[in-house]
Amino acid sequence: MPANLRAAHPSVVALDAHFGDAILGHELVAGDEHVVFIAPDRSFEILQWLREDPDQNYNYLSDVTAVDYGGGRPIQVVYQLFSIPYRRHLRLKAELPLDGLEIESIVPIWQSANWLEREVWDMFGVTFRNHPDPRRILMPEGYQEGHPLRKDFPLRGRFSRAEQTRRALSQDPEDYYVPSEMGAGRTPQLVPWQEFAGGRAPMSTQTDPSVEEPRKS
Amino acid sequence: MSDVIRSTGAGADAAPASGEGSESGGLMRGIFGEGSPTFLTTRVDFVVNWARRNSLWPMPFGTACCAIEMMASAASKNDLARFGMERMSFSPRQADVLICAGRVPYKLAPVLRRIWDQMPQPKWSVSMGACASSGGVFDVYSMVQGIDTIIPVDVYVPGCPPRPEALIYGLMMIQEKIRGETLSRHHEHRSEPAADVGRPRASAVEVAALSLPFGNSTRQNRASGLVQTMPTERPGDRIP
Repeated sequence: MPANLRAAHPSVVALDAHFGDAILGHELVAGDEHVVFIAPDRSFEILQWLREDPDQNYNYLSDVTAVDYGGGRPIQVVYQLFSIPYRRHLRLKAELPLDGLEIESIVPIWQSANWLEREVWDMFGVTFRNHPDPRRILMPEGYQEGHPLRKDFPLRGRFSRAEQTRRALSQDPEDYYVPSEMGAGRTPQLVPWQEFAGGRAPMSTQTDPSVEEPRKS
Repeated sequence: MSDVIRSTGAGADAAPASGEGSESGGLMRGIFGEGSPTFLTTRVDFVVNWARRNSLWPMPFGTACCAIEMMASAASKNDLARFGMERMSFSPRQADVLICAGRVPYKLAPVLRRIWDQMPQPKWSVSMGACASSGGVFDVYSMVQGIDTIIPVDVYVPGCPPRPEALIYGLMMIQEKIRGETLSRHHEHRSEPAADVGRPRASAVEVAALSLPFGNSTRQNRASGLVQTMPTERPGDRIP
């Protein structure tokens, strides 16, 4: 890896210095987009540092998604970060082998990761440890056919059309939701504007107790 | 002056000065003028169907771009209200026609079925666009291959999306269908066994026929023999 490529992005240099062997690689794609490959078992630590370090301050999580390239290759979990104060983009990828699709949830760092990680679980089957609400989000809750965006998933599903129709109609649409999702029993937590003044938003590691409601079975 | 009145009136007692005595000769002012009958004979079927077909209230079930065209057909240029669909009824209990405009995924299928079950009889349904009618290009794991597997459909409107004129034509075809209905065959027209509520309309065999070996949308291409639709083997996709 040429050093000048890494020097083009200050966060990549800082990641190298701080985490060393947990930084598995670096790529420059589409001209100026920096992609950093990180070790999945240290992803939480790295992402938390990127959010909290005053020189990085990636306070906006653009996206969490995943890529399956097929052919038995590992599935990549992709974190797309943006630092509003520094106006800096950074993409991190964690490669998970097909027999160990599990990674730490980053909902304690960015609340917006909640639905994004649910989508990755729904579409690719990546388990997020300590996720507050690990349910499907796009497919029906009782979906039994697997994870549709995986390369080994047949385009038209595993069940016959008749079985898919029967299963679809045997569901109660109101089963998809829990009361906390509909806003019941939740109080908005407002952050004083002074805490934003230093350019840093506070990170709440406490989970909302109303979220941990027992699931409807 | 009086000659003129007498000549146009129905009789000698016509056109009194006060106007109160118009019924004095046993002749009331009928619907076609004085002396014409004050009642009509007709068939109950005709009157009922006339009332029904000229006050169809649509239940818009818009899920995709077809819904934009449905809104355009209700807007001023095409003005669906000309045909009696004055009010888009967003409540199924007050609706007569279900317009399913757009693709329906399997997650939405029970919702569509429930809305159809909630609509009171008499009711009709329009499947608007390619996706609602056959699944369209969405021959994938998540999409209902035609809402006629879920609910009964009276009129299919083709197009992707159909123009407002096409939707209005489809609704006029529903009006024509109502014109041919008769109360003596009410049970046949409006049969809705309680056991059918919440169940697929099509049988399992019927649904399976839509999907083998390719979907509902490519079925016609296969039948024509002009398009080759053999499955693609890609063993290298995933090493188990």
